[in-house]
Amino acid sequence: MPSMLAGLNPGWVLIIAGVASLFITMRQARQVVTIAAPLLALLLLVFAPQNMDLVTTQVLGLKMVLYRVDALNFIFSLAFLIAAVLNGIYALHSDDRIQDGAALFYAGAAVAATLAGDLMTLFVFWELTAISSVFLILRAQTRAAYFAAMRYLGVQVLSGVLLLNGLAYVLKSRGDLSLEAFTDLSDPGVLFIFIAFGIKAAFPLLHNWLQDAYPKATVVGSVVLSVYTTKLAVYALARMFPGQEHLVWIGAIMTVFPVFFAVIENDLRRVLSYSINNQVGFMVCGVGIGTPLAINGVAAHAFADIFFKGLLMMSMGAVLYRTGTVKASQLGGLHRSMPWTTLFCIIGAMAISAFPLFSAFVTKSMIISEVATAGYAVIFLMLMFASAGVLEHSGIKIPYYAFFGHDSGLRVKEAPFNMLLAMGIAAFLCIFLGLPALFPGFGHEWLYGLLPYREEAMGYSHHHLFSFDHIITQFQLLIFAIFAFVLLKRFHVYPPEKRGVILDSDWSYRKVGYSLVTWAGTVWGKAGPAMTAAFFRITSRAYNWIEAAFSPRGELARGGVLNGAMTIWTAALLGIVLLLSFMAVG
Amino acid sequence: MSDPTENGRDNSGRFVKRAAESVHNLNTPSEDGIHPLSKILFGWTHRKGIGNIIFYVLMVLALAVISVDFFHARHEYLNFANYAGFYGVWGFVCFAFAVIMGWPLGHLLRRDENYYGDAGGPPEGIDPDAPMADDLPAPHHTSEGDA
Repeated sequence: MPSMLAGLNPGWVLIIAGVASLFITMRQARQVVTIAAPLLALLLLVFAPQNMDLVTTQVLGLKMVLYRVDALNFIFSLAFLIAAVLNGIYALHSDDRIQDGAALFYAGAAVAATLAGDLMTLFVFWELTAISSVFLILRAQTRAAYFAAMRYLGVQVLSGVLLLNGLAYVLKSRGDLSLEAFTDLSDPGVLFIFIAFGIKAAFPLLHNWLQDAYPKATVVGSVVLSVYTTKLAVYALARMFPGQEHLVWIGAIMTVFPVFFAVIENDLRRVLSYSINNQVGFMVCGVGIGTPLAINGVAAHAFADIFFKGLLMMSMGAVLYRTGTVKASQLGGLHRSMPWTTLFCIIGAMAISAFPLFSAFVTKSMIISEVATAGYAVIFLMLMFASAGVLEHSGIKIPYYAFFGHDSGLRVKEAPFNMLLAMGIAAFLCIFLGLPALFPGFGHEWLYGLLPYREEAMGYSHHHLFSFDHIITQFQLLIFAIFAFVLLKRFHVYPPEKRGVILDSDWSYRKVGYSLVTWAGTVWGKAGPAMTAAFFRITSRAYNWIEAAFSPRGELARGGVLNGAMTIWTAALLGIVLLLSFMAVG
Repeated sequence: MSDPTENGRDNSGRFVKRAAESVHNLNTPSEDGIHPLSKILFGWTHRKGIGNIIFYVLMVLALAVISVDFFHARHEYLNFANYAGFYGVWGFVCFAFAVIMGWPLGHLLRRDENYYGDAGGPPEGIDPDAPMADDLPAPHHTSEGDA
């Protein structure tokens, strides 16, 4: 590849294309850009030389590595760019310059952050992902989306500010901002960076920006959003905190708690947002384990997740586009009019549930296997619980309540062809990535060949992946869980889908925090004038006293208190002082 | 390639036309709004008694996959995972627990759709023919400002 092209960062290509899209009014020309730019970026990435600093610069004496490709960031960037192509296809039915531009810019910022060779460059693009992605929420142009976008922006910028704060500490203590992994969380700078990454990865209690904002974005917006931010955070954690034991527990909790919320949630795009939390939990847990096979599992699962979660989000987007709602309580029976979408959704559901011959089966198992090997019994049970849980909310609930269940009577058109095409390609990937290697490099071996620790991945593939034990235990887990669903439905124990919002940790700031601020405002509105009036009362009284004593018309000027006796006593006192002075001098 | 026949008609042209017609028919919903492909792919789900069939088929499948454990020993890193039926029982218990917890959690956490005062219709850019475009009344709470 010519050296000029070798230095062209694929992320920047998307960013430039995104900015250009904002000004291209001709719809067809913009559509060409939204698909051609990610394809060009893909070519640049695939042919980029690895393990060398391709673009560097100096800013205020700080060396910044703007573009560096290695085995870990290659696979994340590759997934981001393929997803950008699919997102471009998925958006073809719409004519929205801001949405197209923001989607490309956001994808480009995420790719450029992934390909950054130092923490300061990572920070710059980290912030750009936040600023560009908020438009995908705002473009929904609803009241809910507006408020959610403001909250989203606040949380994302907080993450960036914490990251910058951490970088300042780290630069002082370590002397550079290289991507060398951190080991000690007790350093305050490292802790700031950890929390900044944790916000974007949606750690427990820092997670609710995700379920708040993603379901309120546009049809295309939520598909785009589901790909980048959380997976960028997973990459950043895998890069900077591999083997950090806290992450094992944080990740395991992340896999478990969204299951309970997803069961009772009525908005199916919000169910998928909880599902993002749940799947990112597996990845975070894998980063915490930190062994080569676990890191392979993290990278592979992120890669697969981008497509099966994207596919599920696309199918719900298609339902929203055609029916105007994604509320489970109002849907049902849509397989009658949207059979292609139903089929693709079922493929995505089987992939996320880790059915053998589907993608998550070959990716998630590496993480769970390493958890078991490391002897984390409780974590293993939690991950198994989460595997049954993901089958419940993404594997069964999403397709069942949207496309089957009771017939809502809705008869709509099938999704537009461009949506079906994007879903079809994603569905192909969900199946292809899970297939056994019929010949070298086919199916899952193609993905395994891209992983950071290729030999370990191939060893796992040959000895364990499609072993009888692995397949039969996975079927046992899944078939019994599905049987539980059928049984609970049969005996009417399954909770019905009801309209309503489900409170989560955002209640603390949307209700309690907001009420406190409102209350403080009301109190200040009343206390402020009262305090001002009291101040004026006191100062005017003091002024009156001083004036009464010292002004030209005051008591002293009139000599009111200086009567004859006072004059004699004053003269006597002065006389005594004089006498004492003479005696002292003498 | 065209293939003229004795009567001068183009057989391959007719074949292409017929294929195009069948593709068109396959993608043209009937008057009741049902997509023809739906009958092919999911017609079986409308069969009478399908619920019972699925229930019993799953029961047999579950018994079949778990019975393997009684004839085949596993060698897992974690000892408890070696017990016969562990994965099946754990999958069943976890699934049922998550679902049943939906009852108390629903009572505890579910609020009115306009609880935060921001409920409203779908986002911009949906199909203009969407039947549920205004699925909610206009918001009446103002707990999140006056925008």
